[in-house]
Amino acid sequence: MMGLPMSGLRKHRPAALLAAAAAVLAVAACGGGSASSGGSTIKQGGVFRMGTSSTIDSLNPFIAFQSDAYTTFEYIYPTLVQYTPSLKIVENFARSWTTSPDGRTWTFTTRPNAKWSDGKPLTAADAAWTFSTIMKFADGATANSAGYVAHMKSATAPDATTLVLTYSQPVANVLSQVQQVPIMPEHIWAQYATGNGKALKTFQNNAPIVSGGPFILTKYTPKQVALFKKNPAFYGPKPHIDGFGLQFFQTTDAEVTALKSGQLDGVEVPVPPTSVATLKAAHFQVRSSPGVAFDDFIINSNPQQQASHKELLNPLLRQAFDHAINRQAVVATSLLGHGQPGSTIIPPATGQWSDPAIKPVSFSLATAGQLLDQAGYKMGPNGLRIANGHPMSYTVIMPSDLASEYLNRTFQIIQPDFKKIGVQLNLKVLDPSAAYDAILANNYRNFEISMWDWFPLTDPDFMLSVLTCNSFNVWNDTGYCSKAYDNLYSEQSAAVNPAQRRQVVYQMQQMIASAQPYLVIDYPDSIEAQSSHWSPLPEVGGGSFNSMSTIPMVSVHRL
Amino acid sequence: MRGADYIIKRGFFALVTIYVAITINFFLFRVLPGNAVTDLSRVPHASPALRHALLTEFGLDKPKWEQYLIYLKNLAHGNMGISFANQQPVSHLLLADLKNTIPMVTVGTVAAIVIGVFTGVLSAWRRGSAPDHLSTNTAIFFYAFPTQWLGLMLLILFAGILPAGGMSDPFLFTAEPFWQHLGDIAKHMFLPAATLMLTAFGSYTLVVRSSMLETLGEDYVLTARAKGLPTRRIVWRHAVRNALLPLVTLIALELGFIVGGALLVEVIFSWPGIGLAMYSAIGQRDYPMLQGGFLILTVSVIMLNFVADLLYFRLDPRIST
Repeated sequence: MMGLPMSGLRKHRPAALLAAAAAVLAVAACGGGSASSGGSTIKQGGVFRMGTSSTIDSLNPFIAFQSDAYTTFEYIYPTLVQYTPSLKIVENFARSWTTSPDGRTWTFTTRPNAKWSDGKPLTAADAAWTFSTIMKFADGATANSAGYVAHMKSATAPDATTLVLTYSQPVANVLSQVQQVPIMPEHIWAQYATGNGKALKTFQNNAPIVSGGPFILTKYTPKQVALFKKNPAFYGPKPHIDGFGLQFFQTTDAEVTALKSGQLDGVEVPVPPTSVATLKAAHFQVRSSPGVAFDDFIINSNPQQQASHKELLNPLLRQAFDHAINRQAVVATSLLGHGQPGSTIIPPATGQWSDPAIKPVSFSLATAGQLLDQAGYKMGPNGLRIANGHPMSYTVIMPSDLASEYLNRTFQIIQPDFKKIGVQLNLKVLDPSAAYDAILANNYRNFEISMWDWFPLTDPDFMLSVLTCNSFNVWNDTGYCSKAYDNLYSEQSAAVNPAQRRQVVYQMQQMIASAQPYLVIDYPDSIEAQSSHWSPLPEVGGGSFNSMSTIPMVSVHRL
Repeated sequence: MRGADYIIKRGFFALVTIYVAITINFFLFRVLPGNAVTDLSRVPHASPALRHALLTEFGLDKPKWEQYLIYLKNLAHGNMGISFANQQPVSHLLLADLKNTIPMVTVGTVAAIVIGVFTGVLSAWRRGSAPDHLSTNTAIFFYAFPTQWLGLMLLILFAGILPAGGMSDPFLFTAEPFWQHLGDIAKHMFLPAATLMLTAFGSYTLVVRSSMLETLGEDYVLTARAKGLPTRRIVWRHAVRNALLPLVTLIALELGFIVGGALLVEVIFSWPGIGLAMYSAIGQRDYPMLQGGFLILTVSVIMLNFVADLLYFRLDPRIST
C-alpha cells in the first residue's frame, strides 16, 4: 500500500503493462556504433541518465527496503523469469520450466555457459543456494525475503542447468514469487551463510559488485548516484547503451527541473500531474497510462473498535459514504484528469485479475442522505447527524508524504460533500510511520477513518493478503478480518488452474466491495517523462524502472 | 584566580549540558509516535514474526531504562551504534555526511557573516541615508523569506544554468581531474550556499547595525572625532571592534549549527549532507542515526558556546563570572 506504507509497496511495485519492445522502436545511427535489427539500425552507446526520488538504502538484498535497491538487484543479479510490458512472465536466467501434475514440483532449465562478471560460472547451483539460504534463515537474517519462498520445501540443482523447487502444497503464483528473488553468487555470499546467518546482514556488498545481470554496478555514492556499466559477460541480449546512471533527488521539483534543463534523460515515476503540461510544451516525451496504484478511504472494520465510533461498522453508513465521494471531481481536480475513478482493490491495469463487474459507485448525496436516514442517524444541531448519541464527526488520518502530493486536494473535495450529508471529517496529517502506528494502535480499536494509497503487485496474491487476519499488525490497515475471506485466500493461493483461481479472486474482490473496508477512490495514472533523444522506455507494471523487468534498460537506445 | 574559576565553572556547565542533551536525545525520538520497525517490517508477505525479529535485533524489546544504559555505555566507548536502516556504523555514515555538509554550509555562513558585517557597518555609518534604507530593507526582506521557498525559487530561476541537485556531476564513469572536479563541486554548491547566505545575512546586518549605532554614540568616538581622526579609522578601528562583541555570540551559535547542516537547503538541493541524513532518519525512526546526528549537533553548539564564553572573557576584562 501503499498505501500504506508505503513505501513498501510504493516502492516494490510490480507489474504491469506495456510498451513496446524497444527493439521495435529503433532507428538510426551513431554514438558508439550501430547494430541492425529487423531492417532498422539501432544506435549503440551512450549513458542514460535517470533521476529518482526514491533511494538505495542498502546493496544487501537481505537488508534493503527501498524500491530502487530492488530495481538495482533486478539489473545486476539474474532472476529466473521476468515480466514483459504486456505483463506476461517470460524467460530470463531460466529458459523454460515445467510443473509436476500435482503442482508441487517446479523444474527450471537455466542458461548454459553463463558467467558472473568476475568470470566464475553462473549455474543453477547459484539459484539453488539462494533459495535454500532464504529458507534456512527465514526466521532471522533472510526474513525480509521469506515471503518469496512460502511453502517451499527444497531447492536443488541436480546439474548445472537444472533447478528443482519443491513445495509442500500447490502454489498458484510460483513464477511471480521467484521473479522477485535476485539470484546471488554463491562463491561470494556462501562464506556469510554460516552459523545463525547473521553475517548475511552485516556484509555490505559494496560496489563494484560481482554481477550476473545485464549491468554491473560499478559505483555507488550514497544519496548521490549509482552507476551501472554494461556487463560483457551477460548471458542474454546485450544492452545498446554503455551504461546508465541513477541520480537521487529529494524532491520531484528538483528532479523535474533537472530533466527540463537537460541534466537528466528521464525521471522515474511519479511525475506530478502539475508538471505534465510544461514538460510537453518543452517537447519531452510524457506518457500517462493507466496506473496500478489506487487511493483509498479506509473505514475501521474491527468489530472490537471503540463504542464511540462503532457505527462505522454499519453497512448503510459505508454505502452512504461511498455515494458521497465525488470520484469524477477528484480525478478532474486532484489528478488533473490523469486517472480513473476507482472501484475494486485489484486495479484494472494489473490485468486479468481485476473483476470488471465491480464498477465505481455513483456520486449521489441524495442517496447518501437517504441511507443515513435509513440507518436512523437523524440530523442534529450544527448540521451534524447524531449516531449512537454523538455527532457524526470523524478524524481522517493521512500520511504526510501523500498529503503533500495530491491526497490533501482529494480530501478538500470530499470533506464539503460529507458536510452536506451531516458528517464532519477532520483531517489529521501524520508522517507515514506515525500514521500507520495510529491505525494499528490498540489493535485497531482507536482509529476511525484514514486515507492512503496502495501499489498492488501484478499478481493479486499480495493485495488480497493485506485483508487477511494473518496480516494484522503488519500490512492490514483496516482491522478487517473474516474467516470466509481467509479461506478463499488460501484457496486462490493453491489454485494452480488460472481460470479457477480467477473465479476465487473475483469472489474475494466482491466480498471486499460489499464489506467496504476500503472505498477505492481513484486509480492515478502512471506518468513518466523522458528526453526525446532516446527511444521510449517500455513501461512494465506502472513504470519503466522497477524490479519487474530488465527489458527497459536493455532495450533503450539513442534516437 | 579569576581565569581558572571562570573556565572551570563554564566547563562544568558545558559538561552538564552535554549530558542533559544526550539524555534528551535518547528519549526525544522514542516518545515520537511511530516505530522504528514499522517501515522495515513491511515487505511483501511479512509476518508479525519479522516485526518481532527486528525489534529483538535492534534491542527495542528491552525496557527503556535498559536501552538507555546500553546507549550511555556505548557512547562512553565512543560507539554510536549501527543504523537500523542500512546496518552500517553510524559514526562512519555521519562522518561521510559531515564531509559533504561542512564545505557548503561554511561557504554560505561565512559569506553571510562578511556581507552582514559589511552592510551593517555601512548602514550604521550612513544612518538615515539611502544606502542605509536599502541595506536594512534588503536584509529584512531576505531574512523574512522561508528558506525552502527561496531555495525552490532559485532552483527554478537558475534551471539550465546551474545544477538542480547533488554535489558533482554524477554520471562520470571515470574520475575527472582534480581541478575540474573542484570546479564541478563549486558549481553545484553555488545555489545551496547562496540560499543559506541570503536567508542568514540579514540577521548579521541588523545586529551589527544596532550595535554600531550604540558604539558610534559613545564618548570615546566623539573624542576620536574631536582629535580629528579620519572617519574611516574611527569606524573600523574604534567603533567596529567594540561593536563586534554581540556578534561573537551570534557567530559562535551559527557555526555550531554548521554541523547540523541546513536541513531544508540540503533536502531541496539534494545535497548529501548531515541535514539530509537527519531528515531521512526521522522518517525511518532510525534512532541510532538520530541520536548520533543530534549528539554531534548539540556537542558542537555547546562547545562553540563555551569557546564564545572564553572569547568574551578575553575580549571584555569586565567579565568575571
